Amino acid sequence: MLTNIKIFWKLGAVFLITILLFFLIIQYAGGLLRASPAESVFENIYQLVFIVVLATALSGGFAWIFVRYFINRPLNRLAEGMNNLANKQFDFRLGEDEKDEFGSLSAAFNDMASMLSSSMVELKKNRDYLESILESSADIIITVSPSGKIRMINAGAEAALGYGRFEIIGKPIEVLFADPKERDAAIDKLKYADSVINYETQFKTKNGEIRDVLLTLSRLRNPSGAVIGTIGISKDITEEKRLQSELIQSQRYAAIGQVFTGIQHSMKNMLNACKGGAYMVRVGLAKDKRKMLEEGWEIVQEGINSLTEMSVDMLKYVKEYKPKLDQVDLTDALSEIYRMVVKTAENKGITLELNISPALPGVMCDARMIHSVIMDIVSNALDACLWKNYDDREKPLVSMTAYPTEENEEFVIEIKDNGCGMTEEVKSNIFTPFFSTKSRAGTGLGLSIASRMIGVHGGRIEVESEPNRGSLFKIVLPLRGPDKNKEDNDGEKGFGS
Amino acid sequence: MAKKVLVVDDDEKTVKFLTAALEENGYEAIGAYNGKEGLEKIQNEKPDLAILDVMMPKKTGFVLFRQLRRDENLKNIPVIMLTGVAEVLEDLDAESDDTHERPYDSLREAMRKSIKDMRDEGLIKPDLFIDKPIDPELVIEKVRELIGS
Repeated sequence: MLTNIKIFWKLGAVFLITILLFFLIIQYAGGLLRASPAESVFENIYQLVFIVVLATALSGGFAWIFVRYFINRPLNRLAEGMNNLANKQFDFRLGEDEKDEFGSLSAAFNDMASMLSSSMVELKKNRDYLESILESSADIIITVSPSGKIRMINAGAEAALGYGRFEIIGKPIEVLFADPKERDAAIDKLKYADSVINYETQFKTKNGEIRDVLLTLSRLRNPSGAVIGTIGISKDITEEKRLQSELIQSQRYAAIGQVFTGIQHSMKNMLNACKGGAYMVRVGLAKDKRKMLEEGWEIVQEGINSLTEMSVDMLKYVKEYKPKLDQVDLTDALSEIYRMVVKTAENKGITLELNISPALPGVMCDARMIHSVIMDIVSNALDACLWKNYDDREKPLVSMTAYPTEENEEFVIEIKDNGCGMTEEVKSNIFTPFFSTKSRAGTGLGLSIASRMIGVHGGRIEVESEPNRGSLFKIVLPLRGPDKNKEDNDGEKGFGS
Repeated sequence: MAKKVLVVDDDEKTVKFLTAALEENGYEAIGAYNGKEGLEKIQNEKPDLAILDVMMPKKTGFVLFRQLRRDENLKNIPVIMLTGVAEVLEDLDAESDDTHERPYDSLREAMRKSIKDMRDEGLIKPDLFIDKPIDPELVIEKVRELIGS
């Protein structure tokens, strides 16, 4: 009826009706007064005032009732709605049957309420989602207030640490650290960065067990940037660490086993000579055969020498390498090695070549170490030639070449042979201690020692090889000697020290 | 007539004391220092028994051994093989994964393959493996068992 009319018209109508009513009452009362004229002026005035007051009261009352109906009632309902929203009753709606401004207000209110309601649903969904991520993570997730009290822990933390969340929330975070100082140490790092990643530390579970964890710590900030706490996400690595140490242990045993096998293998060949020689000595003595005695004794001595050599090599292997650096003229050093070896090579039918670049600079290195490395590789090269059947087109050849690299920063000594070469498998093992392809020569330590000696010079040994084609060993040394800033510790620390 | 034994080993010392021991016990001993020389001497001298070292340059003992077994004239010559890794041969038939012997895996594999190949070819295995360090008296004893004095 009245619901389709705008407030302005409604109030206008009420106003007009009120005025009209006022005048009607006055008119009516005036009529009554005229019918019975007053006896005095005072009475007349009194009646007039009475009529005006009455008219005002009646028309005012009428206006009041309508204004209340049209304005207060919808305003109250709006206020009630607001209250409901404030109390998080997002499903509350206002009636929209009125088509006036309050009707539109109600509609707007309802729209707002439903928008709020759906965004609250959305928010809740997001929160539930995030919570379920936190909850289902196997990592230990803990948030801590700025004062260091535990604020939230997830199921992963409960499982790993043995605490229920209600018994731990509010406790100081230090109780979870095996060493409470560790927490300060981790927090200290947060002074310089907003997060600390993979800080290795230890937590203590409720029943006192120590767990190794990798802790990643970040500051929690509110949208305006103020710190509102920290969040720590820790990964329990106790099992990994245990497995790792087991692995290291078993690798250690394997390495020891390998060393023993290697030693035994090398010793066998040396003992073989001793045993055979001793037999000849015994027979020589028993039957008074001087020649046999002498030959036998010589074999025994060779065996003893080999064993001595091996023990020296073993000592060399475990010893700490500190190169005595000096400016070394490699032309001299290589020429000397050439002179020492060329005769032996010739006797075995092998040609030995020496090519030295004329622009050979001096190199900072330990002359004795480099000498021993080159000797070792050259003698391997000679052996490789002995192990190959050469056809008529090819002659056994070992060549030594030395040259500085183009950038003039490194120095290369190449030792190349056209001997038996190596399979990939052999090649990958040549620097392994006690690995040997030779049944009786050497101890299987030569190249491992060589590699460490070159290592302490900051250099490296590169190897190329092909079965039955030959091998190429490149000793690469930095011209200025080892870089003191990044020492290659591989050899610096002896295994014995 | 003294029985003839050929010793093939690239290690001069071993050849020296084994030939001395054999001669001392009434055998005629011939030495050879690599597989190639060994094959020539076997063909020329027709020994009653050959002692071959497994690890030799140019031609390993196994290669030489297979050549002997394939040769109609030489295949009946008894063979003793010398090896530094006889214990490896003991489990050649059994699959073993002894991690402590990694560095010798390649050698072990090579031997296993050689023996398998020989078996596949229907060749007879060597009569005996003797591990180094060799006891000359043991070698003499075994030689005697195989071909008599």
